[in-house]
Amino acid sequence: MAILDKIVKPMIAGLGITSKRLGHSRPTVMYPEDKREQFPRTRWRHVLTRHDDGLEKCIGCSLCAGACPARCIYVDAGENTEENRLSPGERHAVRYEINMLRCIFCGYCQDACPTGAIVLRKDFELANYDREEFIFTKEMLLEPALSERSK
Amino acid sequence: MAAATDIQTVNIIVNGIELAVPKGELVVEAVKRLGLEIPIFCYHPRLKPVGMCRMCLVETGMKNPQDGTIRMMPKPAAACTLPVSEGLVINTESDALKKDRKGVLEFLLINHPLDCPICDRGGECPLQNNTLFYGPATSRFIEQKRHNVKAYPLSDYVTLDLERCIQCARCIRFTEEISGDSQLAFRFRGNKTHPITFNETKFTSKFSGNVIEICPVGALTNRKYRFRARPWDLQTSEAVCLNCSNGCNIWFDHRAGKVVRINARTNEAINEEWTCDKGKFGHDYYNDEKRLETPFARTGDELQKADYATVYAKLLEAFHGDNTGMILGDSLSNETYITAQNFFTGQLGSHNIDYRFSANQAKGASTVDNSIASLELAKTTLVFGTHLADDLPIVFLRVRKGWFNQGTQVILATDRSDEVSEFAAHTLVYKPGTEATIAKAFAGQVSVADAAAKCGISEPELQAAITAAAGATVITTTSLNHEAAEVLKALDGNFNAYPTGANERGAQLALACDGLSALEQLKKAANGELSALWVVGVDLFSVGLPREEVIRALENVDFLAVQDSRRTETFYYASVALPMTLPAEQDGSYTNCEGTTQQMKAIIPPVGQAKPAWRVFEELSIRVNPRMPFSQASEILASAPAFA
Ligand code: SF4
Ligand code: SF4
Ligand code: SF4
Ligand code: FES
Repeated sequence: MAILDKIVKPMIAGLGITSKRLGHSRPTVMYPEDKREQFPRTRWRHVLTRHDDGLEKCIGCSLCAGACPARCIYVDAGENTEENRLSPGERHAVRYEINMLRCIFCGYCQDACPTGAIVLRKDFELANYDREEFIFTKEMLLEPALSERSK
Repeated sequence: MAAATDIQTVNIIVNGIELAVPKGELVVEAVKRLGLEIPIFCYHPRLKPVGMCRMCLVETGMKNPQDGTIRMMPKPAAACTLPVSEGLVINTESDALKKDRKGVLEFLLINHPLDCPICDRGGECPLQNNTLFYGPATSRFIEQKRHNVKAYPLSDYVTLDLERCIQCARCIRFTEEISGDSQLAFRFRGNKTHPITFNETKFTSKFSGNVIEICPVGALTNRKYRFRARPWDLQTSEAVCLNCSNGCNIWFDHRAGKVVRINARTNEAINEEWTCDKGKFGHDYYNDEKRLETPFARTGDELQKADYATVYAKLLEAFHGDNTGMILGDSLSNETYITAQNFFTGQLGSHNIDYRFSANQAKGASTVDNSIASLELAKTTLVFGTHLADDLPIVFLRVRKGWFNQGTQVILATDRSDEVSEFAAHTLVYKPGTEATIAKAFAGQVSVADAAAKCGISEPELQAAITAAAGATVITTTSLNHEAAEVLKALDGNFNAYPTGANERGAQLALACDGLSALEQLKKAANGELSALWVVGVDLFSVGLPREEVIRALENVDFLAVQDSRRTETFYYASVALPMTLPAEQDGSYTNCEGTTQQMKAIIPPVGQAKPAWRVFEELSIRVNPRMPFSQASEILASAPAFA
């Protein structure tokens, strides 16, 4: 009798829980084929955004670099001219680099940016094989212009 | 020197604390004695107060000497124009003042673009700072702001942004009171008022860079630094400017190993807080694309990259005895001169080691009686044979300050009128080449009539200047005609033949100069009488000698060694070449024109394989004569009695 009470009954109860759960939806996703939807305010890989007219929002002011606690942003600025206008106003970023190995994804750069140029979005797949590849350049960070995006 | 007891003091009360301060001191300065700070914009300690911005408002009152009661004034007053007087009562903190300051800032910001993110002043801007500490958090001004010209190129060095200007007149007062060129002035009225040059001509002042630093906003910015970095991107280090012999103290701002900006560093004894444009904007050579990075050796017609060992072997083979010579530039470190002399004369046995390209740089006339700071106290100054604003800019500012503040009588004698003539009591423009005659006229060795005729000056003018110049402090440079220098030196007053090369003074002290001078070495080389010539830190094509002569010398010497920081024209004639570090890339000391020895520390990394010149001499010297070499620059200076 002791065997029935101590072993068989709990087993049946356990199987009961299991069979109940079989009806629930499955939390594990088949990554990388399937990807889980990220929360709206997730902070992952940075993107340099553009105005609707295609001009870059970034004005190369280095405020993000100043706010960054990990000191992983490097900005070199240049002057806009009639022939070479990258952003509205007088100034644009010539070089914009983030060292993703150092970035702690705090989002302070996004906070500091006066134009809303740098934003942390949902792309979390940042692994790589080569240390050099973790230096994200302006070309990598900049989102495609609207006209190119629809293609 | 006035004894401390001679200073008259008055008793004032600041925020309830009683205090004795010198009579006549401005309130804005007096409160600093208590460690208090009054916010300011237009006030500058080195300029006359104008009271234009009203940022410095304080509450004032008077203490009744009879019954000790205090009566406060109903309205606040500007602390920057108010001198202290007996019984003055000052309040720097009160609710009413907070409101006043907020009001002043709100008015200033009404017409201010607040484009701080793209403003080169952002991060070190007094307007940002004062707004942060004393200003309103938000703006009530919703109307369209005033728009005006932005990024107007005032000169090659200065950009003017008219929207950002707060009309403090600091820039204008600088050009009127300090540099003396008076090129800037306000034009228009009301909210259109702005500073500009007359007729919008180019702002050509030789001291224009200073207005960038004293502008309390980003209205005047540095064209060379424009958008190159923000203050928090920069590392800054103490340095000394080595573009001329004044030795201004500077802040060397660098980013990722590259110099991006030079600012003045205060040193009351030398440059106060100013720099000249040559210094402030003239440090591009650090980032020169022609920097020499490796040793070179010639094979046949071609200069090819080599290593130090090869070049050292060739050098030691080519140089020994009095048939060889070394020419040094006049801006190298003291350590370089000391080790070069020890090595070249001591180890290689040649006395031909020298820096002098002009016959006039004779050692006898290189006396300096006055420190730069003491020049402003002279009663009469005779500026002779030099264009001060070009040759010795900081000495020029001192001489002008003496005239502006104490009424120094300045007499100028040169071959063309220049900035000094603007305030000189007498200007004598003599025919070039007649320096000696006119100097003799000052000494009474030739008659005034003869001298006047010979030099092309009217006789009464010359006579008046000579009478006025009795006992004057003479200012000239080491390149003055040596005959004239000897005569002037023998006059009654102080005599100063300031060197003009950045460390010419150090070369004078460290080098024995008992062989052929640099000029004589070149002459001998041109005749094929010199077997080997070593040129350190100077481009022979830029020392003012005729090109053909230099080419003849370089082509007729069997072996030419060039040690320099960049590929100069001389470099292309070299048999071997060695790369040399620049002052900010090495430890070293430099002696300025008045004889002050100042230290420089290595700030940025050397380019390529460049080495300090003294290290090269030490490495070579232990190959000739094994011993314990110097390993640090400071040891070398300590070993030289001339710099004790
Ligand atoms: S991303 Fe924003 S904060 Fe960073 S440099 Fe560009 S504009 Fe400035
Ligand atoms: S002057 Fe100062 S307050 Fe004005 S835009 Fe520049 S940084 Fe901002
Ligand atoms: S430019 Fe600068 S220094 Fe000159 S008046 Fe305007 S705010 Fe003052
Ligand atoms: S600082 Fe006193 S009025 Fe400007």
